Amino acid sequence: MSRKCQSNETGTVKGNNNIFILGIETSCDETSAAVLLNGTELLSHIITSQIGTHQKYGGVVPEIASREHSLHWQAVVQQALDQAELAYSDLTAIAVTYGPGLVGSLLVGVSAAKAIAYALHIPLVGINHLEGHIYANFLHTPDLEFPLLALLVSGGHTHLIFFRGHGDFQVLGRTRDDAAGEALDKIARVLGLGYPGGPQIQLKAREGLATAFDFPRAMLEPGSLDFSFSGVKSSVLNTLNSARMKGQELNVADLAASFQQAIVDVLVRKTKLALKQTGVKTLLLAGGVAANESLRLALACELADMPDQVRLAVPPPLLCTDNGAMIAAAGYYRYIAGDFAPWTLNAVPGLSLA
Amino acid sequence: KYLCIDTTTKVTALALAEDDHLVAEGFLHTIRNHSERLIPMLDQLLGAAAWCLNDLDLIGVVRGPGSFTGIRIGIATAQAFALVLKIPLLGVLSLEALAWAGYGRNGDIVPILDARKNEWYTARYSWNLSEEKAVCLDQPQAAKPDQWLEKLAALDRPVWFAGDAVAAAREKIRQILGDKACLLPEFESLPRGAYAARTVWEKWLEKEQGEMVVPYYIRLSEAEVTWAKRRLEREAAADGR
Ligand SMILES: [Zn+2]
Repeated sequence: MSRKCQSNETGTVKGNNNIFILGIETSCDETSAAVLLNGTELLSHIITSQIGTHQKYGGVVPEIASREHSLHWQAVVQQALDQAELAYSDLTAIAVTYGPGLVGSLLVGVSAAKAIAYALHIPLVGINHLEGHIYANFLHTPDLEFPLLALLVSGGHTHLIFFRGHGDFQVLGRTRDDAAGEALDKIARVLGLGYPGGPQIQLKAREGLATAFDFPRAMLEPGSLDFSFSGVKSSVLNTLNSARMKGQELNVADLAASFQQAIVDVLVRKTKLALKQTGVKTLLLAGGVAANESLRLALACELADMPDQVRLAVPPPLLCTDNGAMIAAAGYYRYIAGDFAPWTLNAVPGLSLA
Repeated sequence: KYLCIDTTTKVTALALAEDDHLVAEGFLHTIRNHSERLIPMLDQLLGAAAWCLNDLDLIGVVRGPGSFTGIRIGIATAQAFALVLKIPLLGVLSLEALAWAGYGRNGDIVPILDARKNEWYTARYSWNLSEEKAVCLDQPQAAKPDQWLEKLAALDRPVWFAGDAVAAAREKIRQILGDKACLLPEFESLPRGAYAARTVWEKWLEKEQGEMVVPYYIRLSEAEVTWAKRRLEREAAADGR
């Protein structure tokens, strides 16, 4: 009987110098896992999207999303290990998204991650999904220098975040109503462009004229870094309704292009304002809407025009949408800092950043 | 040696067992949720029993019916253990496990679990003691309490009730079944690690190998039901045209 029970503390660190982090993400409709070596080298990255399953409902259905995660997480994690050519016992720590997101979906990932870490006697690291999105930039541009400013735009969030150092975030502005991606989704549905809305609007907008319609840009009170997208959304709806009453046919491509432009304009103006207010020299783009071409282009152009040289970091599209690699990246820095989660870790659907 | 997990109701139930012997049992029925207490409770049990996870040869999990979220927490945890430890996994039903609450009783055993929307997850069993087996007489289903109780009353034999829906339904059960209603005390009637362990053990003796375990919800999700209904309506409308 040489088998011995190891300590059940979550803090055991292997003697080996290589740090292998398994990142698990199940907060919404993507089941994803990735293995990251020493914070920079992505050894594997598996993403299964449920978009096909949710399409017929016109949006993500929480209970169905949870059921899908439950059925697929094992295969996704196993593939991530296989692709990295690693065994469970090679892992250094497990990083998992514990919020914000859909509680039932989060709990699948959190339960699995906890049991894996506990069975391996290795640390568990709990990651805020929003922090994950921001850390996607470190995978792509590891030489970033603090302080940083992040514009996080996705289906659920629109945040301007002051990022002082690892794990040190301050939200400077956020949306007061719809998230940018949410507004895109809703208008895409109304225009009959389908789900998910952001990419569909972007596609349609390519054929349209962005100056065809003049939709409002809500800047809110002077100096505010908050966002509001409900005004522009209802303006589009009103335009559609009055046209319908007059029996007019509107050009959908023009509508999509003008609406997208209105959203991009607000995001760009507020971001420039935040850069001016904070004096930060590096902007990180993050979140699903960061994959939007118009937004990338507009930011790149506008930043080039600014008096001070501002560096723009944009992750590749695959790292913008929800993924396990970004969770592993954020997990790496928390692991280094010794910031481990307790076995009581729970899903926190409304988790906020600092 | 095996571990059994049941998180399908508000009770977090764990058991460590060896063959048909119960070695350690965990039972928590508090306001805290499964995610917070499952691993800490397991850690305590393993420590107290002087076992470690590496000693295990099998993982058993209750895969429903019950709380959708609870089902998934239990299964994800059990699946992860089985994957990492490379040992077989077996899934059993919550209702099947609760049949052990009425072990050896004369009459039928009817587990009832709160399924919300004024329904129960239920089934009907009877003990065949010579084979140590609970025979299933009515398959697991989601049933309206009144209709289900009327049906049981018509059988005209003693019915033993177990499960988390018993406490709130005592009056109603007595009213409809009269002296045929047999109510177990709550501590015997709620899901227990011991019940799950016995169910898993019997299944292991029968199968002698692990299996893919998937959730057993009985019900479709709300959205699927609505969508199916709409499609039927559309089809009906199309037919009527
Ligand atoms: Zn996201």
